[in-house]
Amino acid sequence: MKKFTKNGTFAMDATDAEMSRRTFIMASALAGTALSTGLLTSSPAHAALDLKGREMVLASWGGSYQDAQKVSYCDPFAAATGVTVIQDGPMNGGKLRTMVESGQPIWDVVDVTDIFLYANAKNDLFEKIDMSIVDTSRVEPAFVHENGVGCIVWSYNVGYNTDAFPGDNHPKTWADIFDVERFPGKRMLRDRVYPTLEQALLADGVAMKDLYPLDVERAFKKLDTIKDDVVWWKSNSQSQQLLTDGAVGCGMILNGRAYDLVKKGGKVNISWDQNIQSIDFFSIPKGAKNADVAQHFMNYMTLAENQATMANIIAYSPVNPAAFSGIEDKVKPWLSTNPDNAAKGMVISGAYWRDHLDELTERWNQWKLT
Amino acid sequence: MTMWTWIRVMVCALVVIYMLVPLAIVLIISFSSAPFLTFPPPGLSLQWYDKFFSDPAWVRSLLVSLQVMVPTAIMATVCGTAAALGLSRSAFRGAALINGILMAPLVVPVIITAAAMFGVFRVWGLYGTLPGLVLAHTILTIPYVLSTVGASVQLVDRRLEDAAANLGARPWTTFRRVTLPLIFPAVLSGLLFSMVISFDELIVSLFISTPTVRPVTVQMWSNIRGDTDPTIAAIATLLFLFSLAALLTEALARRKSGQPDVL
Amino acid sequence: MLARMKADRFMLLIAPAVGLILIAFAYPVFWLLLRSFSDPVWGLHNYGTALGSFIYLKVLWNTVSIAGSTTALCLLLGYPMAYSMVHSAALVKKLLIFVVLIPFWTSILVRTFAWMILLQPNGIINDMLIGIGLIDAPLDLIFNRTGVLIGMVQILLPFMIFPLFSVMARIDTSYVLAASNLGAPPVKQFFRVYLPLSLPGIVTGSMLVFIISLGYFITPALLGGRTDIMIAQLIEQNISEFGNWGLSSALAIVLLVGTGLMFGIVHKVFKVGPDVRTT
Repeated sequence: MKKFTKNGTFAMDATDAEMSRRTFIMASALAGTALSTGLLTSSPAHAALDLKGREMVLASWGGSYQDAQKVSYCDPFAAATGVTVIQDGPMNGGKLRTMVESGQPIWDVVDVTDIFLYANAKNDLFEKIDMSIVDTSRVEPAFVHENGVGCIVWSYNVGYNTDAFPGDNHPKTWADIFDVERFPGKRMLRDRVYPTLEQALLADGVAMKDLYPLDVERAFKKLDTIKDDVVWWKSNSQSQQLLTDGAVGCGMILNGRAYDLVKKGGKVNISWDQNIQSIDFFSIPKGAKNADVAQHFMNYMTLAENQATMANIIAYSPVNPAAFSGIEDKVKPWLSTNPDNAAKGMVISGAYWRDHLDELTERWNQWKLT
Repeated sequence: MTMWTWIRVMVCALVVIYMLVPLAIVLIISFSSAPFLTFPPPGLSLQWYDKFFSDPAWVRSLLVSLQVMVPTAIMATVCGTAAALGLSRSAFRGAALINGILMAPLVVPVIITAAAMFGVFRVWGLYGTLPGLVLAHTILTIPYVLSTVGASVQLVDRRLEDAAANLGARPWTTFRRVTLPLIFPAVLSGLLFSMVISFDELIVSLFISTPTVRPVTVQMWSNIRGDTDPTIAAIATLLFLFSLAALLTEALARRKSGQPDVL
Repeated sequence: MLARMKADRFMLLIAPAVGLILIAFAYPVFWLLLRSFSDPVWGLHNYGTALGSFIYLKVLWNTVSIAGSTTALCLLLGYPMAYSMVHSAALVKKLLIFVVLIPFWTSILVRTFAWMILLQPNGIINDMLIGIGLIDAPLDLIFNRTGVLIGMVQILLPFMIFPLFSVMARIDTSYVLAASNLGAPPVKQFFRVYLPLSLPGIVTGSMLVFIISLGYFITPALLGGRTDIMIAQLIEQNISEFGNWGLSSALAIVLLVGTGLMFGIVHKVFKVGPDVRTT
């Protein structure tokens, strides 16, 4: 499953995604024993770099997540190197592709899902990671790809507004989200083909282990049944706004985004049943103007202290196992890598989507308009 | 009151509420103490203004907007006023055609202009640059200056210009001493219009700006679908106050210009 | 000697503006429109896609029907408002003009954002309607056609009101008075005399609103639902997300030709054009 590349580092293949589930759990279990000194000794020698006055654009998913990235990665990086990190977003796969094709990408680092990375690495969309700059040895091998380095581990969850569903009778599974009789009112899903097809099939009674290859026809048929009861969110912050406002009673939300709401007093909760686990990667668009700066930025992102800061702000798990010891106790139940949570869910299949993303995205766009 | 009058008054009341309520909401929410867009806000605070002015991304985008607005307003006012004078003082064939060309940016749907400029500006190296934004905004605002100043030029009594000329004034002197004072309020209107339009412009900017050079409206757009906090309301209030100031200045200028007519 | 300068001097005054617009506007638009025939290969296939597929036709229909509904609603609300503006005491008149002008000068983005807050299921409007007992459950006011129309009508209403206002202000009330003296009932006076006299305002206002609506982008994108996509959104999406310049520019041509046809028809039938000064 792992292939050795020329310079002796691991390059992860999409089929390894299944592996990562075990890795999550292992990493969490190790967390207690990891030495906290490991957090402090890993600062690279950025002083020698001459990046002062340079600029770099990070395209990510906006809102509280990007705010957290700013605090966890960008500010420390800027302080250490003198680089100005400009925030942009929300990240949009179509836009990224179009700008790379035009030869003038305006983004230097993009935060992409594992699915998008696997599917587009073959389209020559990304620069190669310079392993001589990015120290991938501190990152779990499953999160290192030839064209990207993992930044967070997270999950898609069933979420609900506790004002709309007080008490125990709240949506718990995807079947509940698709059940407009038992749980009336608007619900929300991501305006994107993945993991919506997975959710539709899970709702239709397919078991987690039998999901792949996806029964696409069955999934769209199931989606047809709630088409007009769904608000399709386009950005994660929008999902937060919809759920906390009560504009929708329930729907799909990311674990970290839900944690952020609860932390700020939002009347929101999530269920861990059938959670769908995924990884976000940092990648560099092909032809990015500041690719050299971007490589150094990636390296900075993987530092344990930065990774721990991230997890403490928004409950997304680190890719650097040394970071687990720096995570506060109150955050731990919210992590998708928490063994209890991980056991209730599944890992989205990178292998499946690598081969089907383009074709199914097209189908999705058509379906949405009709 | 007859039933019809009643209905009319009701409709008017409805329209007044309809027009003003959204603005009031934005104003109030910008002072909210809640972390979300809750209404009514549980308390008052200035935190979102503070957040706006302490966030380098917002301040940066505000600066870009100002850097685009000032040259745009000057260029559009100069070009537009010159064109209005040229068109009004000459009766050549094709004047209607030229007028049509100059008004075209107003008539062509903005999305088309935006897409077209995006395509060509990338080749010209103007994509994501201040000059590119200034050029685009100038194009979009020239029609407004042209129609405002054009209307005013029509009203200038040409005998005044002729008299000045007969007394030996050079064309430029005639313009500066006779024509310009008469059309000045309209020129000022044109200037203010172009400032407001440039400052508020979103669609073309959305296409031709990049994260490094990004006006405040585009920054708002990228946040509006995302951020759950009222920072947007704070900047919206500031934008609103800016427009209000421009509008009042304009009204004042008009009132001043109205006086000679009355006397 | 401004008034007697030779024509070429005047051309010099016009040249900068014309030059700028030809180079940085006319050429790019021409370049874009050419894409519809040449991208990715020469031919009419982009038009085949734009006009031949059910989905794009549906978006075209959406565009026309949203623009039409917006225009009708603007007229319904704008006519009584403009009438009141003309036939009120000076102070009320000033106040009403101010009320219409202020939002007109506030960015569309800001106002659309406000509607996003107002129209939520537990937003102020629903809370109020439930509070006074008019409805039991919150109405669906956002992410559907209702939301789009509420947002667009508010934004485009001034474009209806000002042309109506300027025409009504010029109507000689002695006609109405004459009709009244001849014993015509008020309703008849209105429909037989006042309404026809105000027709140019109705036409200009409606055309402005309709044409501006056709190219609308921000409001439907933020307040609309899955099926409320308008042609401008399709153009944007095809360029920025799919890099499909050919199809985008074919759609742009369709939009442009539609807009031009509207101008032409209205101009021919009613002998009026939009008075840009009112915008």
